[in-house]
Amino acid sequence: MKRYSFKGGVHPPQNKNTAGLPVVDMPLPEKVYIPLSMHIGAPCEPLVKVGDSVFKGQIIGDVKSGLGAPVHATVSGKVEAIKVSTNAAGQNTGYIVIQNDFEERLSPDITPSDKAPEEYTIDDVVSAVRKAGIAGMGGATFPTYAKLQSAYGKIKYLIVNCAECEPYITVNHRLMLEHPERIVNGLMLLMKVFGLSRGYIAVEDNKLDAAEALESAIEDPDLIDVCVMETKYPQGDERQIIYALTGRELTSGHLPFEVKCLVLNAETVAAIYNAVIYGMPLIERYVTVDGDCVAEPKNLNVRLGTPISELIDYCGGLTSEPHKIICGGPMMGIAQWDINAPVIKGTSSVIVFSKNKRKRFSFNPSCIHCGRCVGHCPMHLMPNYLYAFAKDGQLDRCVEFDIMGCVECGSCSYDCPADVPIVQTIRAAKGKINEEQRARKAALNKTFVVPEKEDESKKEGRRVEH
Amino acid sequence: MNTKEFNKALTVTSPPHLKNPETTHTLMFDVLIALIPASAWGVYTFGFRALVLILLSMAASVAFEAAYQFFMNIPVTVKDGSALVTGLLLALCLPVSVPLWLPVVGDFFAIIVVKQIFGGIGKNIVNPAIAARVFLFLAWPDHLSRFTSPGASLPLFANVPFPDTVASATPLAALKTGDMPADDLFDIVLGNVGGTIGEVSSVMLIIGGIYLLVRKTVRWQIPVSYIGTVALLSFVFPRMEYTFNFVALELFSGGLLLGAIFMATDYVTSPVTRSGRLIYGAGCGIITVVIRFFGNYPEGVSFAIMIMNLLVWYIDMFTRPKRFGGVEKNAGK
Repeated sequence: MKRYSFKGGVHPPQNKNTAGLPVVDMPLPEKVYIPLSMHIGAPCEPLVKVGDSVFKGQIIGDVKSGLGAPVHATVSGKVEAIKVSTNAAGQNTGYIVIQNDFEERLSPDITPSDKAPEEYTIDDVVSAVRKAGIAGMGGATFPTYAKLQSAYGKIKYLIVNCAECEPYITVNHRLMLEHPERIVNGLMLLMKVFGLSRGYIAVEDNKLDAAEALESAIEDPDLIDVCVMETKYPQGDERQIIYALTGRELTSGHLPFEVKCLVLNAETVAAIYNAVIYGMPLIERYVTVDGDCVAEPKNLNVRLGTPISELIDYCGGLTSEPHKIICGGPMMGIAQWDINAPVIKGTSSVIVFSKNKRKRFSFNPSCIHCGRCVGHCPMHLMPNYLYAFAKDGQLDRCVEFDIMGCVECGSCSYDCPADVPIVQTIRAAKGKINEEQRARKAALNKTFVVPEKEDESKKEGRRVEH
Repeated sequence: MNTKEFNKALTVTSPPHLKNPETTHTLMFDVLIALIPASAWGVYTFGFRALVLILLSMAASVAFEAAYQFFMNIPVTVKDGSALVTGLLLALCLPVSVPLWLPVVGDFFAIIVVKQIFGGIGKNIVNPAIAARVFLFLAWPDHLSRFTSPGASLPLFANVPFPDTVASATPLAALKTGDMPADDLFDIVLGNVGGTIGEVSSVMLIIGGIYLLVRKTVRWQIPVSYIGTVALLSFVFPRMEYTFNFVALELFSGGLLLGAIFMATDYVTSPVTRSGRLIYGAGCGIITVVIRFFGNYPEGVSFAIMIMNLLVWYIDMFTRPKRFGGVEKNAGK
């Protein structure tokens, strides 16, 4: 069988320890902490007050204008507090704390759609997806309705991303094995709405059983193509999937529809189906809990807003002192500083590493010019030189060497024998460059009053807004 | 559980949180392991004195590195093994008859002048062992061009340059004067000829090279393009009529294999791109052949590698990979 792949990438140990463990429903938490921002875009404004009684699935926060996705109460109960606190990325976000009454009262707004499957239009889907608050569940958390809307009428390839190239995470694998019909139905629905005669599901070849499960769930094999890809990190990156399947190269800073593609995560597709057909908002997701100091690694079905400490407790607690708690995969996930941080829409896994999994950092890393990062970079950059320029503060040379093309996958740092923090330094330099550009723009606007030109991306953004 | 206490134990870093266990240290020790067969053959052929020279050179380069870093008050990095590799490589490209102080002077030049003054590991612009060999060769040419016959076991301490030992013409020196070497091709490949300690046995060097290729410590591009270029040029422009034999002699005698497998492939002083490595290897091959054919010296490997070392930045820039992407290109499809 043909294996689709891309140039570059690395092979970290997969550690898919939980692949054989069925997803179990986690007991409902006492309290949920719903962040008002768990997506890319503007944070939500709270729509409830302290003391209000809320239904499960009720919208409790929404963005007034601009890109964003509403947030829902994930349990029924009483709003205990609305507070501002620091999230994992170090930004201040609002949280709505709901005390669970364990009655599971479903919001009366949630009604199954009465339309026949053929009758859905893009507007139905977009409004249902927006209302359900769906954001990219692979970890990027880009509001899905905006993605669908901007891609409508422009795409030829609709791809469901089941690659799951990050080590440890097995939630997509379990979803494919246990509920392949959710992915297939979701894809069929979207294909109808987009007027496509063919859809693609991309699976890495370490999950051949899942590919088989999908194939047996597909009624008409002419409609959906299950594409088996080489197991390699970062195969699940949108750009690499598009390249592997279609041979089209998408530069960073551009959107997939510009190469006539739309890539959606497996869980996102399942959530879209639930939202459109049953009107069900995104209030729960699958989470892999794993790592060398978790007593019993598990795959859990968790309500959003559940503190990760409860997930760890449910998995038997910790066997040794933790060193790092990572939400998301170990290659791109965010290290948490608070064990009570809640599960959000993009949390595909909670990984706890003990001290013996500690990444060695030398205090005096010295690049030995081995060129591995250059060979591994999926964006075909020269990370070693980017690091050298960034460390030296030569930001203009960084730009000249396409630093903004970096997707921060971390393949360079992973395989660096000299322990050079390549991607970390590049990330910091990118932040500085963005800041400088903003400052320059602001200064320019102060000096001259120039009517701002509308470029393509802005127009796109506005269309998305209404 | 006490959350506050618990959170204190957590470390927050920027991803990735995983790391390939390979380090500079393991890569350098791979090179040392790969050099064991050639070194062992050198000791077997040239006797106890060869072993003393090797160990002395390795010890001296580690000592110089440690001393420099200690007195400069910077972290001592001898544990990474790069100084050991430099010391070993330098000893392997010296004849066994050199005085014992010579490798120590060479190590001083390699470690202090070429490596540490430029900023330590990763910052040097030419390979320290090669630069030190060139330095010694220019400073004490007679010491470095007197080769003893294999099997002639030299005393450890005696009046250098050992007037009573048999001097041996290396195969390359014979080629330079326009003669076919007296040695059998089989002896040359096996290493039963005169030469420096480490370069004589092609078989042992190739074994080491295969080890490095299997471990992926060294990628194939540089050795293959270097040796391939030398083979091609020798085949197309033979210096004498026995074409096949001549090509084999050019490949298996002198320092070509030692240089192509172990010295030209030094990470620090070779290009980072695949195509760049091919160009770099080919450049080394062309310069080596030009020096061997037209130059005054019988051997040109160290000069060739040193010259190409200086061009690495330009080769990297010339072969800079094309950035992933190009929406314009595909937009119409």
